[in-house]
Amino acid sequence: MTSNGHLLHARSRGLPASLAALAGTTGFAVWAAARLDGFLDPDRRVPVVALAPLLAAAVIGVSLRSPSEELDGTAVRPWWPRRLTQLAGLTALSAALLPLAVLGHPEVFGPPAMIRNTLGCTGVTAAAAVLLGARLSWLPAFGYVSAVYLGSAGAHSGAATVWAWPMQPGTQPGAWAAALGAFTVGGALYAVRGARPEGPRGGG
Amino acid sequence: MNAVTQTNVVTQTPLVTEARRGFAPWAGLTVLLTLGVLLAASADRWQGGWAETAAELHNAVLITVPAAAAAGCWQGGRERRRRTEELWATVPRPPLARFLVAALPTALWVAAGYAVAAGLALLATWPYALGDGPRPALVPTDACVSGAAVLAGHAVGRLVPARLTAPLLAMAGYVGLGVTAAAHEGAGRYLNPAFPVMESWVPVWWQPMAMAVWAGGLAGAAVLAYAARRRWTALLPLAAATAAGALLAQTGDGLWHTDPLTRRQVCDTSVAPAVCVNARYAGALPQITDALSGVTGRLKGVRNLPVRWEDRDGGPRDDEAELPSLTPLGWSFVRGRLTDTGEFAREAVGTLVLRGDCPDDRLGARFERADDAVENYLAPLPSRRYFDDLDSQGDARRRAALAGRRAARARLAAMGEQERRDWLSAYFAARAACDPSGVPAL
Repeated sequence: MTSNGHLLHARSRGLPASLAALAGTTGFAVWAAARLDGFLDPDRRVPVVALAPLLAAAVIGVSLRSPSEELDGTAVRPWWPRRLTQLAGLTALSAALLPLAVLGHPEVFGPPAMIRNTLGCTGVTAAAAVLLGARLSWLPAFGYVSAVYLGSAGAHSGAATVWAWPMQPGTQPGAWAAALGAFTVGGALYAVRGARPEGPRGGG
Repeated sequence: MNAVTQTNVVTQTPLVTEARRGFAPWAGLTVLLTLGVLLAASADRWQGGWAETAAELHNAVLITVPAAAAAGCWQGGRERRRRTEELWATVPRPPLARFLVAALPTALWVAAGYAVAAGLALLATWPYALGDGPRPALVPTDACVSGAAVLAGHAVGRLVPARLTAPLLAMAGYVGLGVTAAAHEGAGRYLNPAFPVMESWVPVWWQPMAMAVWAGGLAGAAVLAYAARRRWTALLPLAAATAAGALLAQTGDGLWHTDPLTRRQVCDTSVAPAVCVNARYAGALPQITDALSGVTGRLKGVRNLPVRWEDRDGGPRDDEAELPSLTPLGWSFVRGRLTDTGEFAREAVGTLVLRGDCPDDRLGARFERADDAVENYLAPLPSRRYFDDLDSQGDARRRAALAGRRAARARLAAMGEQERRDWLSAYFAARAACDPSGVPAL
């Protein structure tokens, strides 16, 4: 594929819109963190650390669709490098941009927690794109993270560090393992299978 | 056979078909699963307390309403996604009927998902409950509010059929409800369907209805303004919502009052001091009396004790000591059981010995030594040896204080029964009067 071909591929996947949406998400996160006076008390950043990666993951998940599934199936080249590049590139960009909202306090709710949650949410969303389709891929991560957000207050030990990974301080190894596991599984699943075909009648 | 099947197909209304197939059941299941994760994760906090269960279910509206709006929004974009808008336009039904056929099943399923989760939570609390009674007052309203969010989200989904509309709407819902819920002033926060409630609060009888009219009226106005042939009819639900909203905002703090049950307690007066537990956990009285039996046994025959350990809303009176708090659930008291009876007894001894507000400058070494000896006699601290070891490695002053404390403990333990009762009676009298000179020598 020529560089022109890469560009066309990126455009067919709605990359410019996704980049704009990710920039908007970062702006929202920076604004929200400033409104919450997170530099005074890092615990006040928890809503931003939980919700901004969720929004970024929704943007990435929705962009994983293919507008021409049947045509894609006839390609001679393997698809997984392109899928993986797209997912990893957008995730890396989010993981680089979102921590700007929560600089400082890396041991609690700072950049490491933001990067971990971005990886974890994107992994769950990518897996959901394979199972449910790209359009509805945001749903499982939204449900899970919001439930854990309300339900896990004060749970910082034992198994809670794994299942409540979006709400753990940035240095918690169990939470990192869970988020990295979700990203590895979700990313591999998407790279191998691609998003579930939608078509005009697909996706509910 | 074939004819019968065909008749069934014809008589089945589109509403039933929509309710049984497609996205609607999945939306209900999603709400149920989300609430399931939330309730399972926080089970220690609410299971076993009716009031705690009710508060947890109500506070969960913070996530069900945005999720419901997103589900409605997704369903609202369906005709655009499937390119069936023109086909729908050929149906001999008014736009409102077409809208409701697509939107109502999702709303009902989401409301049912919430109601089922609430029912399961109440069932989960039942075996562990120790007093009080189920409080389902807010559940129908919260289910209605979730259903209303689906209808409003559906209208948004039809108006803005972009791929990111649904997640953005959910995010806006979280942020909007969360910010309003976190506000500590302003009458507007009483209009928030996710207004955070304490477990000791109960609403006035009409609050759930007014909230249902407020949320339902807004959603109804959105639906009619979008889909009705006569759009002015949207003013009717809007007027109802405004009236209910004005009532809620005007009443403000008066909407919630403290549960009268939290001011009552049940007591076991067969021991001294008597053991009292808040009426909300009346059934826990035997196990708490049992946990304190070691302490009350050692205090048998001692005079000048507080009358009781109390557990009412508000602090203890002069002649009372405070029972260590059972609430918030999930720490010392989980699913109707004390997690650590020994620790509970030690805390109860602490409130017994340190009751009243004796100013620190009146507490000299004499009180310090006597307090330590009494606490050690009634309910020794497991970590006592550790602190003693620390002191024994400290400077001369700390070593001397430790030696004094050890001697006092040994003397109290070595006393005869009657002598110790007399000593303890004098000690508690001095403690109540905050009079160091009244503490008998050890």
